[in-house]
Amino acid sequence: MQALIIVGHGSHLNAESSAPVFQHAEAIRARGFFHEVRECFWKEEPSMREIFDLVEADEVYVVPLFISEGYFTEEVIPRELGLDGPAPSTTQRGRKIIHYCGPIGTHRLMTRMILQRAEESAGLSDEQARETGLIVIGHGTERNAKSADAIYRVAEEARELGVFGSVETGFLDQPPEVDEVLAAMPQRRVVLVPFFVAEGWHTQETIPDDLGINRPADSALSELDGRTIFYAAPVGTFPEITEIVLERTREAGAAIPEADPALEAEYA
Amino acid sequence: MLDAAREAGTHVRAGVADARAALLAWVDAAGDAGRIFLEANLRRSGDGLYAVRHHRDLGLAADALDIVSADPFRARKIAQTTAAGEHRPLKTAPNLRRGWLLHGLSGAGLWTTLDYLYPACAVHWYAASRGVLRVTDWPETAARQSGMYGAVGLLSPEGVRDAVAACCDDSVCLRRVAWGTGETPAAVDAAAAPSGSVPCPEACSLFISLARKALALERSPRSLIPGLGELGPKEVGQLREIVGAAAAGTLSAVREGDFAEPANRRRMRLLAQRLERAAPPAAASSIFPCEGCPRPVRCAGCPIP
Repeated sequence: MQALIIVGHGSHLNAESSAPVFQHAEAIRARGFFHEVRECFWKEEPSMREIFDLVEADEVYVVPLFISEGYFTEEVIPRELGLDGPAPSTTQRGRKIIHYCGPIGTHRLMTRMILQRAEESAGLSDEQARETGLIVIGHGTERNAKSADAIYRVAEEARELGVFGSVETGFLDQPPEVDEVLAAMPQRRVVLVPFFVAEGWHTQETIPDDLGINRPADSALSELDGRTIFYAAPVGTFPEITEIVLERTREAGAAIPEADPALEAEYA
Repeated sequence: MLDAAREAGTHVRAGVADARAALLAWVDAAGDAGRIFLEANLRRSGDGLYAVRHHRDLGLAADALDIVSADPFRARKIAQTTAAGEHRPLKTAPNLRRGWLLHGLSGAGLWTTLDYLYPACAVHWYAASRGVLRVTDWPETAARQSGMYGAVGLLSPEGVRDAVAACCDDSVCLRRVAWGTGETPAAVDAAAAPSGSVPCPEACSLFISLARKALALERSPRSLIPGLGELGPKEVGQLREIVGAAAAGTLSAVREGDFAEPANRRRMRLLAQRLERAAPPAAASSIFPCEGCPRPVRCAGCPIP
């Protein structure tokens, strides 16, 4: 028997934080690849400290629904789950073998997925996309350089693929800040993709308010200084993330069917 | 402990199947009345299937309920918010909403329902009933913390006791604290516990977050305020805000995990603990005949009784 545990940060304050964890767990549960699909959290229940009290399967795959490697994925999660080390690692505990996989945000399929989702959700043809700017928005923090690295890498790959006219990165807590990046964008149409796991205070309020665009609860589309701005949902909520979670377990040896060849072709 | 190292769970020996069987047998044995588990009523129906509802909804007909479902996963959204729509970070807070019925559940369905209504509670209930619950005492939990919680181990024993009283009392959490604070061994007596009571084997994230707040209060210089005891500027400020808001009629419910808010229930309980401890001694100890009056001798016609 094999089990999947999706680990999320969770929140003491709002339900949006854990929503993508439940969303992808539900989607994977429906596929029937795992005997158990479980959610656990740092700030909600079940906690990481309790989850192994609940899992019956001996082959366990743990995927952190986090955007980057760093403090949580390398320190907090292994410690709280009692794992032997950061991802990728395998911990043997009694009969259980626990495979700790990397976070979703650094997976190789991420860039393609963001590009496709940015195009689709803004309703752009390939031709329109080439005349559109894309900004990948990160939180950024001086405490964890890796948080920004994941975003720089995605932006660089996206630039190389040339789907959008230009691709930039913008941050909340470190330079370059999003509003300056947006102001410097040459295109008349810009898609903003928050590189966040979940909706929350930043994605719903601080980012749109700082930029002077509509809050997502009102509209994803805004007109700003003669430009059309499309503000996408945070990447963690994209349905395609389900595939990335599965791909993480597949790479760690989970006995699940090969990815749909069409999907591989699309993202490869 | 070699045994412990071999086991997969943190607080219980790997035995989910045993716990599930024991739970079902416990519910089966109760007959039509069912069992109360925290705020839920678990009942075996005539068809050999199970039904779960809020125990205070027992008298309600199905058409008086908002949700009637045979899908155990519906329990997740039921448990997610209070009746007022507030997020519930702690599922054992005594604010499970009413107005729902999950029925036609198999034994596995009942287990899944409880997994979402009360994560990990049934396995911990079973482990405690067998005397095999493994607890993690506060010093170990505190020592494990890092980052913004790295200092919580510095909270004084008195501070930890106050935080437990503020965060874990029945009025805010229905689990029974089974972990020790470091001064005394864990005080769990499985035999004395009521049959549906659920132990808490380790301080939760909400407690750790409150402990951090309590430490910040404890570390800011406190001074003696007559009648109120030793309070720091933040505690006095909190008191002022609460009274001000109550006087203005704007004191409203604050999210239970929002410890930045002065009127947060657990923060107010923490403050109440300090105020209670500092209750002034009986007036007889005053050297003045009139409490608060600077004159040592009572004046003719003194208005103070």
